[in-house]
Amino acid sequence: MQISDKSASIEIEHVNHRFGDAVQAVSDANIKIEAGEFVSIVGPSGCGKTTLLNLLAGLLDLQEGRMTVAGKPPMAGRHDVAYMLARDCLFPWRTAIDNVMLGGEFRGVPAVRRRDRAIEILGHVGLAGFENHHPKALSHGMRQRVALARTFSLDSPVLLMDEPFGALDAQTKMQLEDVLLNLWSKERRTVLFITHDLAEAVMLSDRVIVMSARPGRILADIKIALPRPRSVRALQKDPQFHAIYAEVWGWLEQALGNFQGDKEDRLSAKASAVLTQSLTQKAEE
Amino acid sequence: MKNGTLPLARGQNLTVLIWQILTLVIFILVWEWTSINRMIDPLFIGQPSKIFAYLYDSTFGDQKLLKEAAWTLWATSWAFALGSLGGLAFGLLFVAYPALERFFDPLFAALNALPRIALAPLFLLWFGLGVTSKIALGTSLTFFIVLNSTVAGARSVDQDWLTLSRMLGASKTEVFFKVTLVSAVPTIFSGFRLGLIYALLGVIGGEIIASQHGLGQLLSYLAGTFDTNGVFGVLFFLAILGVTLTQGMTAIEKHLLRWR
Repeated sequence: MQISDKSASIEIEHVNHRFGDAVQAVSDANIKIEAGEFVSIVGPSGCGKTTLLNLLAGLLDLQEGRMTVAGKPPMAGRHDVAYMLARDCLFPWRTAIDNVMLGGEFRGVPAVRRRDRAIEILGHVGLAGFENHHPKALSHGMRQRVALARTFSLDSPVLLMDEPFGALDAQTKMQLEDVLLNLWSKERRTVLFITHDLAEAVMLSDRVIVMSARPGRILADIKIALPRPRSVRALQKDPQFHAIYAEVWGWLEQALGNFQGDKEDRLSAKASAVLTQSLTQKAEE
Repeated sequence: MKNGTLPLARGQNLTVLIWQILTLVIFILVWEWTSINRMIDPLFIGQPSKIFAYLYDSTFGDQKLLKEAAWTLWATSWAFALGSLGGLAFGLLFVAYPALERFFDPLFAALNALPRIALAPLFLLWFGLGVTSKIALGTSLTFFIVLNSTVAGARSVDQDWLTLSRMLGASKTEVFFKVTLVSAVPTIFSGFRLGLIYALLGVIGGEIIASQHGLGQLLSYLAGTFDTNGVFGVLFFLAILGVTLTQGMTAIEKHLLRWR
């Protein structure tokens, strides 16, 4: 399945969003994502990246500006949009395969077709043979693989992913990033990927958008010219990857720097300091 | 976690069991001895050997105990079924339509706070001396227990599950039946387990107050005729019955909720 028509693009124009009177979560966001493009948004916590995603998902009501997903305004439950969270959110009473089939069940896909699709996709995420296991019998990483399979078993051309690997350890994360790359390269869907992990963003994406902390503004939109197909493991030693990483990191540092200058928000500054530290460590590795 | 028990712990369990049995035997022997020597009047405490004799006769002899137990269990089953179904239905309605819950809240709160046994005279008047008034009493207890556990279970559904289901395209009805309701099953089941014991309590209570049949009536009759051994025998039987019912419910629960 090759999705390259305009129907799967995402457009965000002059979007502002506030929580209450005090917090400006998103400030004048403008993003255009072409169909079949993989775009990540990075930024310190509290920069409004999840707010943007939830607006696109239709989970939050748009306050100001214009937003379209596949040419239509956002709405929760649209069949052309799939959504994934950091938490696996598997239903503990359903087996792995029944969890994967959940979306198809809700969307009225015939039972035989959704079962075939679930078996196929569970194979792709490396869980062949675990179809009838309940979530309690699976590890964290395996559960998130099931969640990934649940997301990909739907043929929605647009994927919204909110830090899907945020809760995993480093090694499991790398494995799952590779699984995601594989799945994505098979069917080139439009992906908007939220993460606070810069390396992850660079390795996976066609473009990385850097946002500053509160109010969330777009600082930079960087094209990632790494050739595809990519392998997360091979990229670790790729000088080109490190060069791009350094460039994007420069922007992110600026986002954090601006942020730390803001003395009123010490607690969040502390959080971003932790982020700076962890990113620096990653850069050194 | 029974499979994971260490050999040491299993040995300890056995030691505990041996001590428990030993203590019980000594207790019964002391009881018997106290009774024979009339240190306490056997009218008050009975005599273990005679209690067992009563249990044996009324189980294998005239089968009085079993016949009365059948009446009680019949009424308990009905009370449990009606109370559970009613509680479940109202609970689900309350979760689906919170306005309905707000409407019924004062009435239900008052009824639930009322000591239910106080309704017995009214139920006798309405439903007569027969089994129906006992069923009504048991139902009135089970109903509120299952109602409350259904509402509590459905309220505590994981919000992320609801968000995810919505994003996957579930309709409100699907979310209700496939997510909210299923996720509430464990809590509902603990309501069932408690509700069953309370159905038995309501029925026995009703039988003690006024009845022609049932274990409660038998208990009341035996106490009235100063047959202390008989009273202890019935109590012993009731304890076993209660434990069996709870264990049965737990077994069903374990089977249905093996995903936990």
